[in-house]
Amino acid sequence: MSKSYFDETHCAIGHPKSTFMQWMLTVDHKRIGLMYAAVMFTFFFIAVATALAMRFELFAPGAQYMDGDTFNQAFTLHGVIMVFLFIIPGIPAVFGNIVMPLMIGAKDVSFPRLNWFTFWLYIVGCIVALSSLFNFSDGAFNFADTGWTFYAPYSLNTGTNVITTLVAAFILGMASILTGLNFLVTIHRLRAPGMDFFKMPLFVWGIYATAWIQLLATPVVGITLILAILEKFFGIGIFDPSKGGDPVLFQHLFWIYSHPAVYLMILPAFGIMSEIIPVFSRREVFGYRTIALSSASIAGIGYLVWGHHLYTSGMSDLAKTIFSFLTFFVAVPTGVKFYDWVATMYKGKIVLSTPMLWALGTMVTFAIGGLTGVTIAMVGVDIHLQDTYYTVAHFHYAILGGVVFLLFAGMHYWFPLITGKMYNETHAKIAFWLNFIGFNVLWFPMFIAGYLGMPRRYFDYLPEFQIYHQISFWGAIIFITGLAYMFYVLIQGWRKGESAGVNPWRATTLEWHLPTSPPPLENHTKVPYVDFNPYEYHHGEPVVKFDENMKRID
Amino acid sequence: MDTNTNVNYKSEYAGYWKVLVGLLVLTAVTFVQPGMFLTDYTFAAQLIIGAIKAWMILMYYMHLKGEKLIGAMGVFSLFLVAVFFIIVIIDVNNFQFGDVSHITSPAK
Amino acid sequence: MSHEYVPEIAVDREGKEHEVQGWQDDTYGGKLGFWLFMFTEVMMFGAMFLILTYYFSLHHQDFINASASLNRVLGGVNTVVLLFSALTMGLGLLKMRSGDVKGAKLMIWATILLAIVFLGIKAVEWTAEYQHGVFLGLEALQAGNEFSKPFGEILFFGMYFTMTGLHGFHIIIGIGIMLWLLKRINAGKVTPHHHILHFNIALYWDLVHLIWVFVFPYFYMIGAGDIAGVVNGH
Ligand code: HEM
Repeated sequence: MSKSYFDETHCAIGHPKSTFMQWMLTVDHKRIGLMYAAVMFTFFFIAVATALAMRFELFAPGAQYMDGDTFNQAFTLHGVIMVFLFIIPGIPAVFGNIVMPLMIGAKDVSFPRLNWFTFWLYIVGCIVALSSLFNFSDGAFNFADTGWTFYAPYSLNTGTNVITTLVAAFILGMASILTGLNFLVTIHRLRAPGMDFFKMPLFVWGIYATAWIQLLATPVVGITLILAILEKFFGIGIFDPSKGGDPVLFQHLFWIYSHPAVYLMILPAFGIMSEIIPVFSRREVFGYRTIALSSASIAGIGYLVWGHHLYTSGMSDLAKTIFSFLTFFVAVPTGVKFYDWVATMYKGKIVLSTPMLWALGTMVTFAIGGLTGVTIAMVGVDIHLQDTYYTVAHFHYAILGGVVFLLFAGMHYWFPLITGKMYNETHAKIAFWLNFIGFNVLWFPMFIAGYLGMPRRYFDYLPEFQIYHQISFWGAIIFITGLAYMFYVLIQGWRKGESAGVNPWRATTLEWHLPTSPPPLENHTKVPYVDFNPYEYHHGEPVVKFDENMKRID
Repeated sequence: MDTNTNVNYKSEYAGYWKVLVGLLVLTAVTFVQPGMFLTDYTFAAQLIIGAIKAWMILMYYMHLKGEKLIGAMGVFSLFLVAVFFIIVIIDVNNFQFGDVSHITSPAK
Repeated sequence: MSHEYVPEIAVDREGKEHEVQGWQDDTYGGKLGFWLFMFTEVMMFGAMFLILTYYFSLHHQDFINASASLNRVLGGVNTVVLLFSALTMGLGLLKMRSGDVKGAKLMIWATILLAIVFLGIKAVEWTAEYQHGVFLGLEALQAGNEFSKPFGEILFFGMYFTMTGLHGFHIIIGIGIMLWLLKRINAGKVTPHHHILHFNIALYWDLVHLIWVFVFPYFYMIGAGDIAGVVNGH
């Protein structure tokens, strides 16, 4: 048995003997990615539990299980965890770390110690976020109740623990910046010889575009949060209308980051889709360059559309018109990607394995999420739908049905790579269907409820909305069952699954050409010379083959 | 990494001082400008002087000269900042609620 | 480094050899990474300048009045101090690169000294302002009391203390990393042949200077044309 990255590692400080300390101090990108996954999913389940609690409360009008204040804290906790602790580190932190260096034939990221430091910064951020749950004076829950957006001036006046939450968001932001920085340098410097930008796998393109958003947008929100903290401590007045500050400016600055942040979530997810579709269609991807460049242009245009969150905030009409116009533009590169994926599948030998199922499911759910997004990009429509459940359903379709679904797709796709084992396909497929059906039952009724006027962030509602909330509740039950089942299948697969072999999917990119499975500590035995495109299939068979020294033999 | 053999100490040393003199002169200009020229446009004049100083620091002290990739990335970041400025300024200049706004004049 | 890092060689189909860039010993990568970090600082201060510009356009006259009351002499002296510190930092790097480690260390110490002078002057300035009743948290900068300044001035001083404070914080960090750099030089980890750390810290210091190049005119000079303000003070 050759040694894998589970057996040995490099450490940031010294060479500790104990396995536990080796994990804590590891600088290996694969181990760090796994640890991110473990922490992220723990928080994911905490936030799902909070969401379930909200769904229970919303089952009937009136207060049953929690009062209004608790509900406010509940959706803030849910939003803060899902956004800052789960989905913003998200795919880059897990698969960007584990898979991206493998895909470009690197031994590790450019700054492995910085990577280690970043992970621990993330942990510190998580701890600070959790600490703001509690009010240390009387032992009650006292999480921020502002919503995850911290809008001024309410966030400046509320008595809940907003400061710690802001500090946590700031620290998590720094971790995100450093991740992006590390990946940018890695992609620029450590590509295998011969691999130019247009020979990179598309997932790497997604990570690259994302990293630019992490790097350049996050500082803006960082400073905004700092100003809000200073406001609370010293009353500098910047966002406080009683001193001449403009709360709308807070919204501008907040969304200058947070809107690009949603592309930061979706771009690597699109990257996963672009990996899975060609592999399971056994065809070269259609329009490689257009997919790659559309990632870049989504990132670019994504910087210019933040104002569509401010349509009802008192922004000037001219600015609204500009933002509405720019927002439509984002749909264009996204559409290009969709057509490319569909065209890739056309006349392909489609293999309906679990990752492909997830990818196809996402094409449905994300299309709904994306198209409803276009509807609320129109100023007139949005005046009606702003802050209703229509918007909430839209972003759950986009984030949960887009990003998280593709994250799951990636989990199934790279599972054999990371663990060396295979999960049970049949059970994994059942789990997919539970999730897919549950998800749609959970969120589709909310479009209707929102359209009819159900406002978001309310713990109570008029009786006519009850039917939608009840359907939604049962959807949540199915969905959460599906989630639990999926993780069960994966964990069983890891514990008891059969060995998967090096390349179970007959994929072409470099991460499937490792010497052993799971991969050894320093990845490829030899770095290959890359003079081929990432997805070369001929009659449904991969073209490029390597010998054990990573020399091409086809 | 360059080694001591290919460092032209003398000329680089002189270069540092020359830039310093330039920066000092510009700083002096900063001080006399409000009373001397462009007095109605102090703000713009100051920022232009600042931009020239910044350019000198970037090119000579920070060795950005010849760094194509990093330079392009820098231009991209500055471009983004500029876009943020332009859009927000368009918004403020077309502010429609000035008459009823509480923040533009102190409430008594 | 105890043992030299030897880059790997990749062989293509024609048998030609290509050197593989590893993460070890990647000077350009180190430089690139640090520049990327500096862009984040640019975005951060860029956002603050955006806020400043926003309120400047809203409260033009208040800003000019408030600016006129700042102490331009101390601000100007600080500008010159920073200028010279940038020079010493640059010369230190030059000396390091040309093999004069001792001279380089001397120059770093000079930079640290100038940085401390800068902070000292800043402290004098802030103290004077505090005694005039202008400081974060004092009544003049709160709303709705008899000492309250107009909105524009409250915002001006709020940003003034925030931005110069943040800049000062960067100076303090700078002193810290320069001391660390000296330690690394003494330990033989930074040498004329391997000086990326020194290079990056010099870049950092220039960035701190660069920020001041814009902070200074924006706060101290926009009101300089207002002769009345200069004569009367505030
Ligand atoms: C298990 C599936 C989920 C359920 C049942 C669920 C349910 C909910 C509910 C009931 C709300 C409150 C809506 C309101 O009253 O305004 C909400 C808000 C929200 N959810 Fe989820 N959610 C789920 C997954 C996710 C995921 C995966 C994300 C993102 C990664 C997410 C992000 C958010 C955000 C950002 C908010 C807004 C919070 C705020 O208003 O400040 N949710 N969700």
